[in-house]
Amino acid sequence: MAVGHKPLSDLLDEVALKILMIEPGDLSIVGELLDLIEKLLPGHAPANTPGVIQRMAVAFKGALEKLIMGELADSAENYDLLGQCVTEMQESSRKEGQPGEKIIEQFCANMKKIGFPMETAALLGTTGPVSTGMGKADDESLSEAECALAPPQIKPAQAQAPATAGSSQEALPDFLQDTDLLAGFIEEAFEHLESIEVNVLELEQSPDDQDIINNIFRPFHTIKGVSGFLNLKTINRLAHATENLLDDVRNGKRAMDSAVIDIVLTVGDALKSMVENIKDVLQNGPANYKDTDISGFLANITQLQEGGAGAPPPEPVSVPAPDLQPEVFESEEVETLASEEAQAVVSPSPAIARGAQAVASPRADTPASSAARPSADAAPKKIGASIKVDVEKLDALVNAVGELVIMQSLVRQNRLVSRIADPKLTRDFSQLTRITSELQRTAMSMRMVPIKQTFDKMIRLVRDLSKKSGKKVDLIMEGADTEIDRNMVDSIYDPLVHMMRNSVDHGISPPADREKVGKPETGTVFLRAYQKGGSMMIEIEDDGEGLNTGKIRKKAIERGLVGEFDNLSDFELNNLIFLPGFSTADKITDVSGRGVGMDVVKKAVEKLRGKVEVQSQSGKGSLFVIRLPLTLAIIDGIIVRVGSERYIIPTIAIQESMRPDRKNYSTVHGRGENLLVRGDLVPIIRLYEIFGVQSTYTDPCDAIVVVVENEGRRRALMVDELLGKEEVVIKNLGGIDVPGVAGGTILGDGRVGLILDLAGVIANKAD
Amino acid sequence: MEAASVAQNLGQGAELAGKYLTFSLGKEDYGVGILSVREIIGVMEITAVPHTPSYIKGVINLRGKVIPVLDLRLKFSMNHKEYDERTCIIVVEVQGQTAPVQVGMVVDSVSEVLNIAAGEIEPPPSLGSSSETENILGMAKVKGEVKILLDVDRVVGEGLLQQFVSQ
Repeated sequence: MAVGHKPLSDLLDEVALKILMIEPGDLSIVGELLDLIEKLLPGHAPANTPGVIQRMAVAFKGALEKLIMGELADSAENYDLLGQCVTEMQESSRKEGQPGEKIIEQFCANMKKIGFPMETAALLGTTGPVSTGMGKADDESLSEAECALAPPQIKPAQAQAPATAGSSQEALPDFLQDTDLLAGFIEEAFEHLESIEVNVLELEQSPDDQDIINNIFRPFHTIKGVSGFLNLKTINRLAHATENLLDDVRNGKRAMDSAVIDIVLTVGDALKSMVENIKDVLQNGPANYKDTDISGFLANITQLQEGGAGAPPPEPVSVPAPDLQPEVFESEEVETLASEEAQAVVSPSPAIARGAQAVASPRADTPASSAARPSADAAPKKIGASIKVDVEKLDALVNAVGELVIMQSLVRQNRLVSRIADPKLTRDFSQLTRITSELQRTAMSMRMVPIKQTFDKMIRLVRDLSKKSGKKVDLIMEGADTEIDRNMVDSIYDPLVHMMRNSVDHGISPPADREKVGKPETGTVFLRAYQKGGSMMIEIEDDGEGLNTGKIRKKAIERGLVGEFDNLSDFELNNLIFLPGFSTADKITDVSGRGVGMDVVKKAVEKLRGKVEVQSQSGKGSLFVIRLPLTLAIIDGIIVRVGSERYIIPTIAIQESMRPDRKNYSTVHGRGENLLVRGDLVPIIRLYEIFGVQSTYTDPCDAIVVVVENEGRRRALMVDELLGKEEVVIKNLGGIDVPGVAGGTILGDGRVGLILDLAGVIANKAD
Repeated sequence: MEAASVAQNLGQGAELAGKYLTFSLGKEDYGVGILSVREIIGVMEITAVPHTPSYIKGVINLRGKVIPVLDLRLKFSMNHKEYDERTCIIVVEVQGQTAPVQVGMVVDSVSEVLNIAAGEIEPPPSLGSSSETENILGMAKVKGEVKILLDVDRVVGEGLLQQFVSQ
């Protein structure tokens, strides 16, 4: 049961996280949210999803679409209300789909406040499927629901078409702000457009293939999202309209016929020429900017959609050829980028990176024909050429290099070989070592990107937030060069934004209040990244108000999380804010944003096998620490033996090792064993006990203890023997994920050794 | 009603027809679809992983790749048997949550690759509890012997891919 339930709560967490990211006016994120919500709709939802949640999702989607259409206000309040709705959905999910009337009523009340009235009966499913249920209850809401479920493009397309010329003029200086992102977008967009073309042509052969339709839909969606993010309004609008048309096709509202294929192809060409133009602007200055009139396309699309409901769609001839055609053909020959210098793909934004994953299907690299076309522009230096490589190939390379390093040290340590006293052999060996370590570095760096790009986006976020709230905030970033696994960059962005927002919104007080308590009127938020103990650490520190530990304690007692007389440290109390549903009901902790708690941050970080903690002093500020594993890193480890098993302890966590003296060993009644190490009492963890193996020694004073430190906690791990120190490649255990084990590695004799995850070991013992 | 179910069975049989790698566990013969089999290796030293169900023997090094190994005897609640020179690890590839994953299955001995026709396959018997039979694709009668055709994705998926440890 719990297993089948997991995907749903994960989805809801994603929804919750996404809704935190929404700023009024930023429709691209709303679009992403819409995508997520669609996964919860009847027919798409994970198995075991309670019906009530599916119905909630239908209503939620309806409200969201109205927001996009502009029928409901695109305001922070409405998003806050939506956030509460998500919380209620999460609550329902936690209660296994039996949320009780109170939650249902809250949900309906929130929906009503947003302007999307609905009946509780409809949610409970007592009057049949949702749309008819609402219809019976209220005629008006039926029509609303219907038009909410209809694609939202018609009105915006009509409304915005006349405004095209004006708005794109003012968009011009705007999108040039982020040249790095723009360069990344251009490159991605070309790839997307090419994949669209290939897929469309394939679709002509098999018009009913849902996969191909999805493969066309996704790139449009990505282009729409990223262009919206970059303020490329014309591109965004065109991609958006086309996406909606395709969405109709996807949902079976209209057939994929030649009219649609034609329009998709011409839109693809038009987008290509627009992106081409942006590239030109980027290289040769804004003077080259050409405005493209897309009203013809939008009208065509609208016409197709309106006529496409039941009546046979217009023949392709009825689609007037857009005036852009000639220009398109001219520019088509310059669509490929010179790629002599292969570089690892560096993702400029999470949206783009997500797009990259979306097209990572084998089909994406098929359009070899277009790559053969002569490149008309003289290899622009500004846009770094790159090759997209299948992540699996990269993994295979990193694996092979890891093996090479192991084999090399095996050969070197071979007893016969090490006896050869030939200076040439020694020289050759060191040369070989240099080459392999160079190879290793390069292979590893392909997967790693500096966290700088994620950090840089925070500058803008903090600037916007402080402007909006009238606070003065300095953002000081340190260690932006710290490298992080490329896959993690995407996943860490959302939680990071949430935490930054917390620090600025709730941590830092307005200038006047700050002066009153004797702080400089400008608040400071530190954003740091560094590596520690085989981990990547990200810290967010503010000099704001800090958490109100007393209130948290009161709240925790109210909710029965701690007993009234429980003796908890401030640290433990503060970290209660990461519990699900803790900060949602009542905004007491100063860290509640949209009624969605910090638990989503915690879950997002934990999904990366990381950890998040908060240290805070009331009145002085808070420090959030995210600890992430460096996946794929080679770590330095000490190999220890416990019975017949060997484990690897990350060297960096080790403080010392010793054979304990009897006089330093003590037991605390019922609270386990301790060892006095240089004046400090350190709890002993018997590794053989928690790992369930037979060990040679059971008396700590016969065995060896390794004193380790993890996040401020020291423990003495009891082992049988220290075997040596080695650099090991972390490998995952192929699907096995257990607490206390960070992964495995191939030891010198070819056997697998397990790498200890100290945080897990310590937590395990604490349980 | 009856005709429909017969037709369904025939359809199922046709779908299941193909080449199977057969192996034995105790006195029973089993088969797994040849397409999911990657290789067969002799039993090697297995590194135990703590906090896992007993049928997960641990992990092995398959040419630089760490893959989990499960003991099919223990998985099917049969008696444990000491590994000997006939004990094999069949490495199968199944679809994981994101990418295909390789998993080793310890079996008593590997027999042969059989071509099983649609007509030889019968639906799994109902043994009362569904959990016993849901791993089984069907029963094949070949030359008077019964081979139990396993649904590898289920057998392995149940043991590994779902997060069995939820702390």
